[in-house]
Amino acid sequence: MFAVQSRAPLSAVGPNPDTAMKAIRVLVADDHEVVREGVRALIARQPDMEVCGLASTGRESVELAGKTKPDVVVLDLTMPELDGLEVIRHIRKALPNTEVVVFSAHPPEDLIEEVFDAGAKSYIEKTSASKDLVSAIRSLAEHKPFFTSETSELLFAKFLVPGAKQRPDRKEQKLTVREREIVRLLAQSNSNKDIATTLGISIRTVETHRATLMHKLGVHSVAGVVRYAIRHHIIEP
Amino acid sequence: MKSLRILIADDHALVRQGLRSVLEARAGWTVCGEAENGREAVKLGLKLLPDIFLLDVTMPELNGLDAARQISRSAGKAPILILTMHDSEELCGEAVQAGASGCVLKSDSPRQLLAAVEAIAAGGTYFTRTLPSQSGGLRQGAVPPRLSAREREIVQLLAEGHTGKEIASRLGIAFKTVDAHRTNIMRRLNIHAVADLVRYAVRERIIQA
Repeated sequence: MFAVQSRAPLSAVGPNPDTAMKAIRVLVADDHEVVREGVRALIARQPDMEVCGLASTGRESVELAGKTKPDVVVLDLTMPELDGLEVIRHIRKALPNTEVVVFSAHPPEDLIEEVFDAGAKSYIEKTSASKDLVSAIRSLAEHKPFFTSETSELLFAKFLVPGAKQRPDRKEQKLTVREREIVRLLAQSNSNKDIATTLGISIRTVETHRATLMHKLGVHSVAGVVRYAIRHHIIEP
Repeated sequence: MKSLRILIADDHALVRQGLRSVLEARAGWTVCGEAENGREAVKLGLKLLPDIFLLDVTMPELNGLDAARQISRSAGKAPILILTMHDSEELCGEAVQAGASGCVLKSDSPRQLLAAVEAIAAGGTYFTRTLPSQSGGLRQGAVPPRLSAREREIVQLLAEGHTGKEIASRLGIAFKTVDAHRTNIMRRLNIHAVADLVRYAVRERIIQA
């Protein structure tokens, strides 16, 4: 297939003729063969996409991306050999036209900004429907970011951190030291009153911190806070 | 070629797709149903009566091991294969106690998965990791679950952050019943707060953190 040389006129409403002609070339990177197979089969069913490579480690992903120059990389963050964020950075630096969609078994939580900072343009959880991944790939092929409703909500909640008068500094999106303390105390089954006493602050302040941190983490219950605390080794199970 | 109807349960759509691809490559094997959590797996299983169950351990609503317990207790002569992300002898041991005939890792090759399905379909067992010693004696910390199946279900839902009302509606029982279960559970485990219940659930592998 040859690329169409002329550009679509600015007033055109239809899809870009360039992308409409070529299949979107996708590199799939995941350390579980079952998942690679699932994504491969999914892409095989899309008339406008094709798999150009399969990688099972971070290092392989970077190498194979360099060799095959895919349009989109579907990348699992937790693969052996190279940190997922590093992989994203490497790929985006070496291949600025190659987009990355993170495909993860874990919810994004406070990792989401780092992922987007590193250059990925979409974060899809493995519990999402297959069509989300397909939509993400198509969107990224046009260099447009793609957000599922969960990611949108998470980003929106972070944007609107309660009490902030203006868009907060990036650093403040992560949990503050105080917030982490409160996460630990909550996970140790302390009541708001106990926490207030322990930290020497008012119950109202505890409530505000609690609401803020739950927003930042994208959780809606104490149970969610506890699970976060265990995952991040703030407490033992 | 022997025909085989397989029911798969995993909360990741693409893992289900991958399993389907791998399994249906065998002539005569079909995935007759897909479930995205343990409760669906149990329900679908009763409806479809598959030849084999393939259950992921970590699923919301009802995890794979508790689903296995419910399945093997009901109609089930159908063997169960457990699929897990974690390389753990303990887990595979628990899988056996829950009624499974086999345990494979998600990182194992498709070839091993096929071998496992074939083995247990023929009435045997298949493990890609060694099991803890079958001495029958209790290893340190290995205590059989002190809660009933229903109680474990409720613990999972509470640990996932659902309210009593939501749980009642999901399980199709009265709120009062859920409340009574919750009280019993907390009393039996000597637990007084949701946070401790979540930690218990993670320790007992009812949910993953």
